[in-house]
Amino acid sequence: MPRTSVAAQRAGIGLRQPHYAEVMDRAPPLGFVEVHSENFFADGGAALAVLHAARERYDVSLHGVGLALGSAAGVDPWHLDRLARLAQRVEPARVSDHACFARAPRAGAAAVLHANDLLPIAFTDEALDILSSNVTQVQERLRRTILVENLSAYLSFADDAIAEPQFFAQLCRRTGCGMLLDVNNIMVNALNLGVANPLAHCKTYVDALPLEIVGEIHLAGYCEADDIVIDDHGSRVRPDVWSVYAHALNRFGSVPTLVEWDTDVPALQVLLDEAERASRMLAEAVAA
Amino acid sequence: MNAEAQRQRQLVALLLAERADTATLATRESASRALRGLQAYRANADASAARALGTAFPTVQALVGVEDFAHLAHEFWRFDPPTRGDLGDWGDAFASWLAEHAGLSQWPYLGDCARLDWAMHCCERAADAALDADSIARLGDTDPAQLRLRLAPGLAVLSSRYPIAMILDAHRSGDDAAFDAVRDALNAERGEAVLVSRDGWRAVATPIDTATLDWTRRVQGGVDLASAMQHADSHFDFTAWLASALSSGWLKGIDVVRD
Repeated sequence: MPRTSVAAQRAGIGLRQPHYAEVMDRAPPLGFVEVHSENFFADGGAALAVLHAARERYDVSLHGVGLALGSAAGVDPWHLDRLARLAQRVEPARVSDHACFARAPRAGAAAVLHANDLLPIAFTDEALDILSSNVTQVQERLRRTILVENLSAYLSFADDAIAEPQFFAQLCRRTGCGMLLDVNNIMVNALNLGVANPLAHCKTYVDALPLEIVGEIHLAGYCEADDIVIDDHGSRVRPDVWSVYAHALNRFGSVPTLVEWDTDVPALQVLLDEAERASRMLAEAVAA
Repeated sequence: MNAEAQRQRQLVALLLAERADTATLATRESASRALRGLQAYRANADASAARALGTAFPTVQALVGVEDFAHLAHEFWRFDPPTRGDLGDWGDAFASWLAEHAGLSQWPYLGDCARLDWAMHCCERAADAALDADSIARLGDTDPAQLRLRLAPGLAVLSSRYPIAMILDAHRSGDDAAFDAVRDALNAERGEAVLVSRDGWRAVATPIDTATLDWTRRVQGGVDLASAMQHADSHFDFTAWLASALSSGWLKGIDVVRD
């Protein structure tokens, strides 16, 4: 399975534009930095130069938001070409994307639309076939395994027939890919589903995953907006999510971990403090 | 079409529809809850559209204001939704759409400002290229009919009936005197020709004369140096242009093409 040799005792952070200069200047100790692959698809320019500079100091994880791996319309060859080129340039420690769809034909339009969002797929055999086929295509093109992340989903479907952990277990078994376990997303879904005990629900989810499939863990903040919980990556990791993370480390051992912060990006030190907390927990997991 | 493909088409159509409505979606959530979920995705699309276009078209956004720009982005997303998963690559048709938008007649220059914004955006994303200094010596030892000038990736020229470079500079600088100059130019109906190139990582818009505009277009068209010189405007000074082209990074090399 795709757990890598990256020093897993230190957590990583999402490297976002407001922090580019400070991260390069301070070079804080981090397990790795993660970037959104699509932000570096351009032929050249400043962002790509920063990424190359970051790569000289850190392992880089390429985390995509646009492969749309669950799309029945398939993976966009242009997108896959750009990702392959970027992977060749950066030699990332890990490549990942989401179990979602975004591409679909539109009535009356020749080109397939790309919604540029992480839209939910159903947990059915048919959706699993589509996802598996697309993941296999990507892995063959990149000549490496990838990690596939569980979503925070604001819609779920009446014909869902496979429990989500089993869905991922089957995906990983069929394709050889790994799972990027976003513990915040599990919590957001639990809260939106209105389960009686969200924390217990999340732990049960974690316990249902095969030990060998989780190759990375994501942590982030969420917000409550009226009657819905939004996975906005715009605040500190919530206490309940730290609890699920501790449970996951207890089950899976030390796994490369990322703290994401994408909206209302704070001072770098705030993000580093969150990463430091995750690093301490990782170290305890190693010691245990 | 299989059920999952049908569901995905349906959900995308609901995202683009005028109103949020989940009546046709079979969800696990209650109807009101599903509607709230759909609204969250629709809000994501609006935010993504405004953010992506705002990044690519900062002058247009400054001209119409952030709020109205967000409405335009919402409208454009439905008119010409993205087809690729890199939103930095989306917006090619925005300028022509703005130019024909019935509600924007008070800004007749908006379409041309958008063309310039887009050229700047594309220039900053273009491939990085170093000057092939040795190749410049070919000017002294090779027949011009066998030479082709290699311009910087992303370099673009535009012409407009409006002072588009002045408008862009005024919004970049926020300087009152620059806005006064824009008003004077608009009142005098002074247009501009502009060359977009990169200074370091940042795109810059340089006003150029029509002779340089025509020259650059011809060179971009791939003609050999002798032909370009032959058809150049009588006021065009190649030596002066070459000095500017080298100091400003417009020219990256000279290729020898043997038939």
